[in-house]
Amino acid sequence: MIHYLVRRMLLALLTLALITFLAYGLIRAMPGDPLLLKMQAMNPGEEMRLEDVERMREMFGLNDDWYVAYFKWLGNLLRGDLGNSLSQHASVASLIGQRIGPTLLLTMSSLFLSYLLAIPLGLYATARNGKFDERFISTTLYMLYSLPSFVAALALQVMFAIKLNGTAFELPLFGMTSDNFDQMSFGGKFVDLFRHSILPVTCFTYGTLAFYSRFIRANMQETIRQDYIRTARAKGAGPKRVLFHHAFRNTLIPLVTMIGLELPVLLSGSVILEQIFSWPGMGNLFFESIRQRDYPTIMGLLLVFSVLTLIGQLLADILYAIVDPRVSYH
Amino acid sequence: MSFPYRRPLHWILLLTILLPLGTMSGCGRSESRKQAPEAAAPGKEGEKVVLGDMIEPFTPPSLEELEKEVVWLDSPVVDAMEELRKVKESEPALVSVEEALKMRNDSPEANKKILSALSVLAPPDGQGVNYDAQINRSFPMDLVTTNPILYSSVSESELLSLTSFGLFGFDWEMIPFASADSVVSWQTSEDRMYDKVVMRKDLVWSDGKPITAHDVVFSFKAIMTSQVPVPAVRTGTDELKWIEAYDDYTLVFFHKNAEATNVWNLNFPILPKHVYDKSLLEDPTLTTSEYHANIEKNPVAGGPYELASWSRGQEVVVRRRESYYMNDGEQVRNKPYFKLVRFRVIEDANTRLLALKSARIDESELEAEQWQTQTAGNDFYRNNTKVSGPGWTYFYIGWNLDTPYFSDVRVRRAMAHAMNYDEMINDLCFGLHSRCAGMFHPDSWMYPENPPKFIEYNLDKAEDLLDEAGWADSDGDGIRDKEINGRVVPFEFTLMVSQKPDRIAICNLLRENLESIGITCNVQPIEAAVFQQRVHEKKFQAEMAGWGTGTDPYTNENIFATGEERNYGSYSNPKVDELFKAGMKEFDSEKRAEIYGEIFNIIYEDQPYLFLYNRNFFYGFNKGLRGYRFSPRGPFTYSPGFSSIWMP
Repeated sequence: MIHYLVRRMLLALLTLALITFLAYGLIRAMPGDPLLLKMQAMNPGEEMRLEDVERMREMFGLNDDWYVAYFKWLGNLLRGDLGNSLSQHASVASLIGQRIGPTLLLTMSSLFLSYLLAIPLGLYATARNGKFDERFISTTLYMLYSLPSFVAALALQVMFAIKLNGTAFELPLFGMTSDNFDQMSFGGKFVDLFRHSILPVTCFTYGTLAFYSRFIRANMQETIRQDYIRTARAKGAGPKRVLFHHAFRNTLIPLVTMIGLELPVLLSGSVILEQIFSWPGMGNLFFESIRQRDYPTIMGLLLVFSVLTLIGQLLADILYAIVDPRVSYH
Repeated sequence: MSFPYRRPLHWILLLTILLPLGTMSGCGRSESRKQAPEAAAPGKEGEKVVLGDMIEPFTPPSLEELEKEVVWLDSPVVDAMEELRKVKESEPALVSVEEALKMRNDSPEANKKILSALSVLAPPDGQGVNYDAQINRSFPMDLVTTNPILYSSVSESELLSLTSFGLFGFDWEMIPFASADSVVSWQTSEDRMYDKVVMRKDLVWSDGKPITAHDVVFSFKAIMTSQVPVPAVRTGTDELKWIEAYDDYTLVFFHKNAEATNVWNLNFPILPKHVYDKSLLEDPTLTTSEYHANIEKNPVAGGPYELASWSRGQEVVVRRRESYYMNDGEQVRNKPYFKLVRFRVIEDANTRLLALKSARIDESELEAEQWQTQTAGNDFYRNNTKVSGPGWTYFYIGWNLDTPYFSDVRVRRAMAHAMNYDEMINDLCFGLHSRCAGMFHPDSWMYPENPPKFIEYNLDKAEDLLDEAGWADSDGDGIRDKEINGRVVPFEFTLMVSQKPDRIAICNLLRENLESIGITCNVQPIEAAVFQQRVHEKKFQAEMAGWGTGTDPYTNENIFATGEERNYGSYSNPKVDELFKAGMKEFDSEKRAEIYGEIFNIIYEDQPYLFLYNRNFFYGFNKGLRGYRFSPRGPFTYSPGFSSIWMP
């Protein structure tokens, strides 16, 4: 196992180097230029002289060929420095650091909720297969799966922040905290954050929830047709025991793999929802940095995402060996 | 295995997701304060930073020598608030405030009435002003920096108009003056080569240190240091030859040339010298070092407000600064009306409107469509009212004159005949904007006395002009063509436009009109970064865009004079070049207006742009606010601008 892990990690480092190298090349090959964008200010009185553009280009290393710039970036990375943002006056590490918390708050609660609700829903749907309530749940979930989150977000905003404004059910329209957050007690802060997260987390969750519960149901449907289930029933096990003890444990295997793959999603956030709810997360940062051609920030984020993807896959493989006794790494 | 691709970001991540595995420590909070030791810092390692290295060496004369040589003429030192008060006295309110707040803004008359009542100023003694009030505003995008010389976006200029210190300003008609809040006297030499400013002695930074002439000189030098990445404010400042502080409060500005536009070069943001004089030499980026990262978050302010807090991506809060208006226990300047100003970062236009409707923000710019369709009901009027004002921003379609299609003025005029202006204004702009004939607004002082007659929408005339220019359908395929260098070229071009639905619709209108006269126009919505690169490299055929207005018409030289930086379409007319030069040298304002009026007329004749419309301003304000007024650049960034807004 250890031998396997070491090999995997060495391979991972190589992969990471390749990913970042390729990504760097792709990013720099994109048309557009971070400095020219600043010139796009609408006001003709505030122009930027071409000499200044050229000078800044030299300063920020934009005149280097992309592979030269890549190795400079890599060199700095090895010294623990992600560089400075070209569009924000701050270091990339601090920008990412500020965004990680809010993103995790959204995505972790969403993931937790999805699994918490999806498993019972999926199992219930399996047990009640073909009955009216199962059809109802499945159809609703299917509809939710196809409802775009930005539509839901707007509808929820109008409902809870505008129509119910002034009532006990009112929820914040946008943002992560209230204006007087700093003066609140610990409990007050918790409640405040919780209230602000309800709408974005709901929008974030319902699609994934629909997907997972349908996934579990589909898998269960397949599993309960297996011979060993019939055997279990034949030897007299009750329907509950068959469902939980025999069938569900096998359905867990692909579910566990998915947790691993969810890791990068946890940090990537969501561009649209973060914009609508003015949530200071990573999705927005990534989108903006691409729009601004902020190469160091894009690379910093890509690095984080890649590392998480790789960890996620490794984790999935390890968990796979744990939940499935047939799999072992020697 | 399929995966819930509900989030568009995943597509961008595809590259990383498809590739296999590994581990390494990421970058979390723990690293957030860590600074780049050397390399990633822009600016070469070991290269010595010389303050003001872009300034030509110059030994200024002593003040005595200068006084002997120079005849000084007084220039205006103005208290903008007082001036506005005088103007308001001559503009009686057409309805009472109560009536105005009950009205619906559904016609130009209603707009005029509402504005006349709600632009009421607070009395000079501040009676009836709620000084404990807080106002919530919004930023459409996050703040990039709090450093006044590094600013580049609208969010920063809004913030800096509250927190930064300056000697000069301009009013609602964009007339420049020295601000009485910071200046005792301002004199300009008769030959226009020098400006002498005596600063007030009761000015202090938010950290308690006095604001002096040395801060102004230092800021000039900082802006003119090649390793400082100054995006916007170096232009203009680099037209100054020298600034000398003869004592702590007396400054003389030395100009390179005697020009009517020199006054605009005096107006640049001022940095506190004591904060930056050592650190700038160590870290000329003003960003990288830990010290500068800290100053970014806790800047020393010179304006009426100072930064209270800033959470990136969420909000920026500034608070009233007592040391701005009080000195030695005495009030020396107007007390700013708000205790706290909160800018919430709200990027989504729908959320912004909902925030305004539910009083979570107190003012917001409205898009024409929002003005028309989403702000007419009780849900809007419960907390707010809305007003509009003329804006000097204009939109156009620019032709690349280096292409075979648009090098001929007859073709460009044909294009102007092929645009259905009525449909554009009435249907696509909801009748809210007005058609324009050039870069100056009809309200402006430089607008010609005899403006050109609008080129009418007339497809027959367009076809005649195209025939005349040799663009006829020779092969009968329905598309006009012309033989150029022995090759038959069909008239098919691409029109670039940013990804905004209202602008795309206008381009499509022209496309339809052109199709009917045998021209293929491909409308290409394009991302901002690519758009900018293409116009900059002149790799385009036609582009639709808009220009805001500079404070003075000379800023248009950069767009229309031969070979200039923003003359993307390579337009060239020696007469226009000459007139722009003459405009800089003319000091008589009437003659100057004539010069720019003439430029306006020539450009309309030459049609390097197909001029479309002037965009007006639309704003929603909470019913509690008073004292707002429009300038050609909107209700805030002029003097007094935001400072005249108050809450009873």
